[in-house]
Amino acid sequence: MALADREKTQDRRSRLLWIGLAAPGAIWLILLFVVPFYVMLAVAGGGINEFFQTVVPVWNPLHWSSWNFSAVWHDITGAGAFIGAPALRTLIYTAIATVLSLAIAYPVAYFVARYAGRRKGLFLVLLVAPFWVSYMMRMLAWIDLLQQGGLFNSALSDLGLPGNTDWLGGRSLTVILGLVYGYIPYLILTLYAFLDRIDQRLLEAAQDLGLSRWRTFWHVTIPLSKPAIIAGTFITVLPMLGDYYTNQLLSGAAGTTMIGNVIEGQLDAPGQTGQGAVLSLMLLVVLLVPMLYYVASTARASRENS
Amino acid sequence: MAVELDEAPAAAPQPGASRRVGLLRPNPWRRPWLMEGFTWLYIVWSIVPIAIAVLFSFNKGASQSTWQGFSTKWYIGSSVNSVLHNTALHQAVVQTLVLAVLTTVICVPIGVGFAIGIDRWRSRAAMSLNFVMIFSFVIPELLLAVALFMLVTQALTFIGLGTEAEVAGLVVWNLSWPAVIVRARLVSIGRSYEEAATDLGASRLGAIRRVLLPMLMPAVFASAVLVFASTVDDFVIVEQLSSTASTQPMSVLIYANVHGGLSGPALNALATIMLLFSLVAAVLGLIAYRWMTRGERQSSVEALTNIAGM
Amino acid sequence: MSEGHVELVSLTKHFDGGVAVDGISLEIRAGEFFSLLGPSGCGKTTTLRMVAGFEAPTSGKILLDGVDVGAWAPNRRSVNTVFQNYALFPFLTVAENVAFGMKYKAVPKSERDQRVAEALELVQLTGLEKRRPNQLSGGQQQRVALARALVLRPSVLLLDEPLGALDAKLRRSLQVELGALQKRVGITFLYVTHDQEEALTMSDRLAVMNKGNIVQLGTPADVYNEPADAYVADFLGVSNLMDAQVDSGAPGQGCCRLRLGEFLLEARAGTIDASGGVKLAIRPERVHLHPYEEAGPNRLPGMVEQLVFIGSTTHIHVRLATGVALQALVRNDGSTLPYSQGTAVNIALPADALRVLPDPGVSAAEIRDETHGDQLLNLTS
Repeated sequence: MALADREKTQDRRSRLLWIGLAAPGAIWLILLFVVPFYVMLAVAGGGINEFFQTVVPVWNPLHWSSWNFSAVWHDITGAGAFIGAPALRTLIYTAIATVLSLAIAYPVAYFVARYAGRRKGLFLVLLVAPFWVSYMMRMLAWIDLLQQGGLFNSALSDLGLPGNTDWLGGRSLTVILGLVYGYIPYLILTLYAFLDRIDQRLLEAAQDLGLSRWRTFWHVTIPLSKPAIIAGTFITVLPMLGDYYTNQLLSGAAGTTMIGNVIEGQLDAPGQTGQGAVLSLMLLVVLLVPMLYYVASTARASRENS
Repeated sequence: MAVELDEAPAAAPQPGASRRVGLLRPNPWRRPWLMEGFTWLYIVWSIVPIAIAVLFSFNKGASQSTWQGFSTKWYIGSSVNSVLHNTALHQAVVQTLVLAVLTTVICVPIGVGFAIGIDRWRSRAAMSLNFVMIFSFVIPELLLAVALFMLVTQALTFIGLGTEAEVAGLVVWNLSWPAVIVRARLVSIGRSYEEAATDLGASRLGAIRRVLLPMLMPAVFASAVLVFASTVDDFVIVEQLSSTASTQPMSVLIYANVHGGLSGPALNALATIMLLFSLVAAVLGLIAYRWMTRGERQSSVEALTNIAGM
Repeated sequence: MSEGHVELVSLTKHFDGGVAVDGISLEIRAGEFFSLLGPSGCGKTTTLRMVAGFEAPTSGKILLDGVDVGAWAPNRRSVNTVFQNYALFPFLTVAENVAFGMKYKAVPKSERDQRVAEALELVQLTGLEKRRPNQLSGGQQQRVALARALVLRPSVLLLDEPLGALDAKLRRSLQVELGALQKRVGITFLYVTHDQEEALTMSDRLAVMNKGNIVQLGTPADVYNEPADAYVADFLGVSNLMDAQVDSGAPGQGCCRLRLGEFLLEARAGTIDASGGVKLAIRPERVHLHPYEEAGPNRLPGMVEQLVFIGSTTHIHVRLATGVALQALVRNDGSTLPYSQGTAVNIALPADALRVLPDPGVSAAEIRDETHGDQLLNLTS
């Protein structure tokens, strides 16, 4: 039927327009996001050139070898295993830093979202400011303060406390606080964005129905902000797990290495690039579940909005 | 009921009594001093160290704990170790700018096109691409950087390490900013403005150009500012994908020199310049965003949260 | 410029979920003010969007002055739309908004300015050319949307609930204005609304829609006074609906004898040759109340349940001895009503006001439920 044909050509033409608009971004994403991970697989499943100690990627999945995988397995379980400690440390650091971040970020975001009133703009500027300061600058600031002979130590000795502590000499505490300091602005902004959208009338309704302030907070605000806490936790946990520079900057000692340092080190070490690929893939697989959960919940939220 | 009404005034009175009630049951409208104090404490903690670092970049001496007087020697004065005269330092400034500008110029248009295309081209392929895009947003940067490193050293060796690889990586890492922000704006705009334009005689492409794009401009601009600032601040991707010293931007140079090397206030000066780039972008962005959305009765708080990508 | 004669031929639209428009056919005369009236989800907006070109019909024809435009893109059709949310471009001034479409119609620049001025004068917005849409009130925005469409001199103007976002008082005054404007410009108006008052006051003719079909088509007076079925009767204004049985006894000439519980009634309007179970409808303003003692033909005993003072009228809710609830409308002429809650009355249902309607298979209560939202709107407006 002529009408249906016309409709079809019209549809096809506009579909071509949409595809054309999406194409550059789509190609970029496939070529520089999807393909690289295939290359990573090919490197992980490949071998090395014994003479030059260089990587020989294998492109055909049927010919992939388990050589790199068993090498990594040996590094985890065999004699001279060295991966377990950084992996465990990564988990502990991340867990403590995340809990600390939430404990600091939630009250701050809650206060600004609910009680800041007309000064909300001022508070937001101050909360957003660190977001615009580079991570490197913020770490550098703490290195300046914490170094021996730095302001922090001299302030301590002014107070009569021992002022010659080497805060940057491989202390877990420094690294964890560095992680908190580094990632907390993202957490606060995420929490704020969610908390600000909570309908005040729900809280008023709860109080109207006889709940005290605290009970309202526990039984209404906290359940309502659960998605915010989950999203905020993802936003801080995921980059912390891939962090390798915070501990390098604030400690640099072997006693504070994390999994990111191991991967980064293997990348440049002759003959170990393949193992770096395997480790990266392992980290990716571990993170896949939380990432998919996050992506799915974001997709759901955007579907509900549209 | 009448009894209750009669009793009500009798229960209120005497200041002494009401104070006792106040202790047991605090005034529900009191200001949350504790939380406010905590918030200020956090703000001081988050900003003061940075302010000190900026301050000491203007120190006359090399100390980072004793103030020896104001000077701009670490920026322009010193012929050896100032940002202006030290080749490594000012090369890093230039490289950062080059990367930020190139990335923004490439990333924003393709991201905007991606957002519009994906939003309208409703299909399984579009959904999968959107999925990949959001995935690229949450993946730890190190994993992407390692994968990109392997791509340019093992597969697309014609790219190789260096500026091209850095830009390619930064674009894919930042693509989600315009894609997510523009898409959100598209959803809130809805279809009726485009329909109105076609109803008044515009073609589909004409409606996009003359109506949709002007309405998307604030979102496009906000995402451009975000891409620019996050490229200036980027470290992981550029560290993995840079090759020689001449392709190292400021962040990599600072990282490499914190423990030894070019330490001292010159690094602070470099970091301050980096901070300035981002802040100027942010402030310009905020002003422009306010100007572009002046027709939309939007509070400055909303503008602020929008420009921060929330 | 073409005349503006519209003909829809078994127009159908399927969405993924089901049928939105189920093969409707109708003819709109050139220069007519035609309304599509129905509750939300009845297919009226989909029909309008197909005429505008935003939705492609699944099957059927849209003839615009005899030419099938069903597959044409919206920008090729000589119809223009006033959108429900106005869709004024926020980044353009009022004058730029109005001039928008003329850039595509090859109107010379000099003529453009003149036509913008004329259009703004037509909608009484002269002097606001430089404003932006957000600096205007809702009523003014609505006028800009109207001017923007009219300036292109379309053969048909489509209006999608254009008064929906305005408050009741403004809506009233704009109804009158819109009607007068249509007469002045002489363009065919296709008006979509769920508000029966709007449809009744402005239209030359209207079509009542339900579930993708046209239930009744006619002038406002026809549709109001002679509803085709219980659905129309109930949707347009407040109707009293009763279930009744046609009495098999010999009917008189031009009338129908009905049994309502133990009572016998005569009806002279509607499908008086029906048999079996039917619906009886009567408008509240045709129900009269008499003192309990004054019995007579077509009168039933009942009791006043509630008096609702509306202002110009009072709604009296009564319950018949058979258990059916009815409403009567009494004009307020300043005197005090001799009724209060519990007063026993005799309720007169004049035979010529009592309509026999074919039973559509659903109970009156169900129809009432479906249209409840609109009823509420009507009561509050």
